[in-house]
Amino acid sequence: MDALNFVFPNDLHVHWSMMIVLYPYLTGLVDGSFIVAALYYVFGVKSLKPLSRFSLVFALAFLSCAMFPLMMHLGRPERNQNMMITPSPTSAMSGAGFIFTVAIVLIGLIVLLVYRPTLVNLRLKSKGVMKILYRVLTMDSTNLSPESLELDRKIIKFLVAIGIPVATVLHGYVGFLFGGVKANPSWSTPLMPVIFLFSACVSGISALVLAYIVIKKLTNQPVDLACVRTCINILAGFFILAFSFEMLEVFSHSYLRTWYHHAVEGLLNGPLLYSFWVWQVVICSVLPLLLLGWLCLFKLRASVFKFFAATVSIMLLLQVLLMRWNVVIGGQLMSKSTRGYTQFHPEWFDKEGIITVIVLMGLPFIVLFILSKIFPLWLEEEKASS
Amino acid sequence: MGKPDAGLDKERRAFIKKVLNGTVAGSLLLVIPMPIGAATPEIKEQIPGIRGKKWDMAHKRFAFIVDITLCIGCGSCCVADRLEYNVPAGYYRTWVERYLKDFNDNVYVDSPNGGFDGYQTPRADIDVEVRDTFFVPKLCNMCKEPPCVQVCPVGATFKTPDGFILVDAARCVGCAYCIQACPYSSRYLDPFTRTAEKCTWCYHRVRKGLLPICVNVCPTKARKFGDLNDKNSEVYKLLHEHEVLTVLKKDMGTYPALYYKGLRREVV
Amino acid sequence: MKSTYNSHIKRIVLGLVVFAVLGFVGKIVMTPKSFGKYGPYRADAIDEEANREIRHGTNASCLSCHPNEANMHLTGLHKTISCEFCHGPYADHIKDGKVYGKLPVKTKEEIKVLCLRCHNRAIQARPGEVIKTVIMPEHLEKQKVKVSHTCDQCHQVHAPLKHINRAKEIVGAKEKIDG
Repeated sequence: MDALNFVFPNDLHVHWSMMIVLYPYLTGLVDGSFIVAALYYVFGVKSLKPLSRFSLVFALAFLSCAMFPLMMHLGRPERNQNMMITPSPTSAMSGAGFIFTVAIVLIGLIVLLVYRPTLVNLRLKSKGVMKILYRVLTMDSTNLSPESLELDRKIIKFLVAIGIPVATVLHGYVGFLFGGVKANPSWSTPLMPVIFLFSACVSGISALVLAYIVIKKLTNQPVDLACVRTCINILAGFFILAFSFEMLEVFSHSYLRTWYHHAVEGLLNGPLLYSFWVWQVVICSVLPLLLLGWLCLFKLRASVFKFFAATVSIMLLLQVLLMRWNVVIGGQLMSKSTRGYTQFHPEWFDKEGIITVIVLMGLPFIVLFILSKIFPLWLEEEKASS
Repeated sequence: MGKPDAGLDKERRAFIKKVLNGTVAGSLLLVIPMPIGAATPEIKEQIPGIRGKKWDMAHKRFAFIVDITLCIGCGSCCVADRLEYNVPAGYYRTWVERYLKDFNDNVYVDSPNGGFDGYQTPRADIDVEVRDTFFVPKLCNMCKEPPCVQVCPVGATFKTPDGFILVDAARCVGCAYCIQACPYSSRYLDPFTRTAEKCTWCYHRVRKGLLPICVNVCPTKARKFGDLNDKNSEVYKLLHEHEVLTVLKKDMGTYPALYYKGLRREVV
Repeated sequence: MKSTYNSHIKRIVLGLVVFAVLGFVGKIVMTPKSFGKYGPYRADAIDEEANREIRHGTNASCLSCHPNEANMHLTGLHKTISCEFCHGPYADHIKDGKVYGKLPVKTKEEIKVLCLRCHNRAIQARPGEVIKTVIMPEHLEKQKVKVSHTCDQCHQVHAPLKHINRAKEIVGAKEKIDG
């Protein structure tokens, strides 16, 4: 490092590492997939019906694994309940336990109510352990009268509606957690919760589109193109918003040129030159933006559309991951001395290391697989089996 | 070295007499009951008005002043602090920074090992003529509006009614949010206890009427600590006379109780 | 028992209420006793910190048992230096009022390093009026002393000018010794 680089002695170590990049990523995926469910159940976007159930189970699978990165990060995970027993009224992080509990109970209830008719039928048809499981999941009720279904419909709509602010807080508080740290000039901005939320929606919708296309391809099933088209249109809308806010943040600071500006500029043009400008902005933002424009505005052949929809989804999933990396880890590279930058070296076998990241990213898919055996993911398959 | 001569012997006898008298007087302190245990009856008090009285939690106010013009970068403070608290190597409750300025107004700052070994050699990686050099000791600013307390999710770091910001090591979950929130980088995560730690202005010493250890060992009196309720204390006088005292990162709105005298414009 | 159209909703609500009550009771039971006394934190932690082991004494506490050194130290230019900086903390030497460990005494090269921590002019930062600095090995050369000499061979570490001044007295005011 050159002679002009000075990092405060306590700033040499990066405390919030890959687990803290992964946590917002996972809750972001939850938010984005919940948005699709909300658009169907609350706003009545009929074309999203094929994904309506999948999006809920997907959200549930990812939410169930969302706390693991945090447990791996805490110095004292065995004391994590302290956040709920003695939460601090001024700390964004103390809301974590409560909002997570509310969110998982809510999504769990929504899934149970949406699937109730299916689960009741499965209870009557299955035997042994599965029968007991379905009995529990249906609250030991086999009543599928029109009144009960109408009640369910109203409650589902209500729950999904309150789910929208809950999902907003679930991911928005993470944005505020960063945005409220005045000590770090690259984090403290009122735009942080907004940027986090919109990019969360982008990642969730991309994940759903990719998963849908890939699963259908692997199981040799047809893809509902109208559904994918709607998703791509919504994705484009959210991504334009997310990208605009991200760039607005950078350019306002560049223009305002306040006291700490030179340190942030030095960060983006120095240690983060490749991960931010080259990868996050050019390759994973500008390029997908052009691709999305093309996909939304032009009529394309089904196979071409599916291929590029999947490609754009992969690029945007990468964009959101890079954005989390550049904010969380990138932000800590800049020393509070405003005179230098430290380095981050990801370890393979650390408790917050690369292997852990891979395992924790794969875990939600395993949960999704298990859940798919209990909750049939696709309406077409259900219709076919009943 | 060498035999002491007669004159020295006389002085020694006089001195021993004085010390014995002092010890007798000091041993009276053994009789005075101390509110928190009787751990240190044999160490004479350094901050007057604390021993033998009930600690009035709500009305105590202390200030810490660092005089940059006196700091010689010896690092005694860093050594004493590390030994007082068994701070692990690579982590710092207090540290000393060295600032060099050349004739083109470039500023070079370093803090090798936090100044723990002192500054024994000039900077080897700079090849310019040095115009000016000064040392800046850093420690917890004991903010009156601490951002670390604001962000702690479990109430493990808190501001006491007597104005000290402490860490409850039994409650801390090691999330490191407070470390991110401190604008002065005063905090660190202890790799052994896996909880957050920071300088506490030697709360355990102050409660027993002793100065913080870094203040105690500073050979040039660059570090000053005192009771603001005591109008005769040096810190009270400095804060109430026409001295120019500044704080670090004033724009952060943390209102530190740590003041700097003679702080240079290059210091962040 | 036949389920009515809203049985499942009633059971869900019941489950949620039980869950909330358990959570609330759990929170009350698991909150530490002294929590909230002064604010949203465990007040006992204040006394726990106040009762932390004191590891260093003060110079007065060392000198009360070491009158020889006290005599030299308190009358010399090094009276502001902490004994424990060179010798180690009080708690490594005295436990429960009794001697239990020996503190190290620095030797030749260690002493030189210690001296130069403060007195090295090469660092250029020592405010002149605060402390006297020298450059090595020029200081030794100027005093016409072997450059392998360590500082304590001329300067009594507890009273650095003691021998210098005595030497001046012996030689008479004729020869002015710089340094």
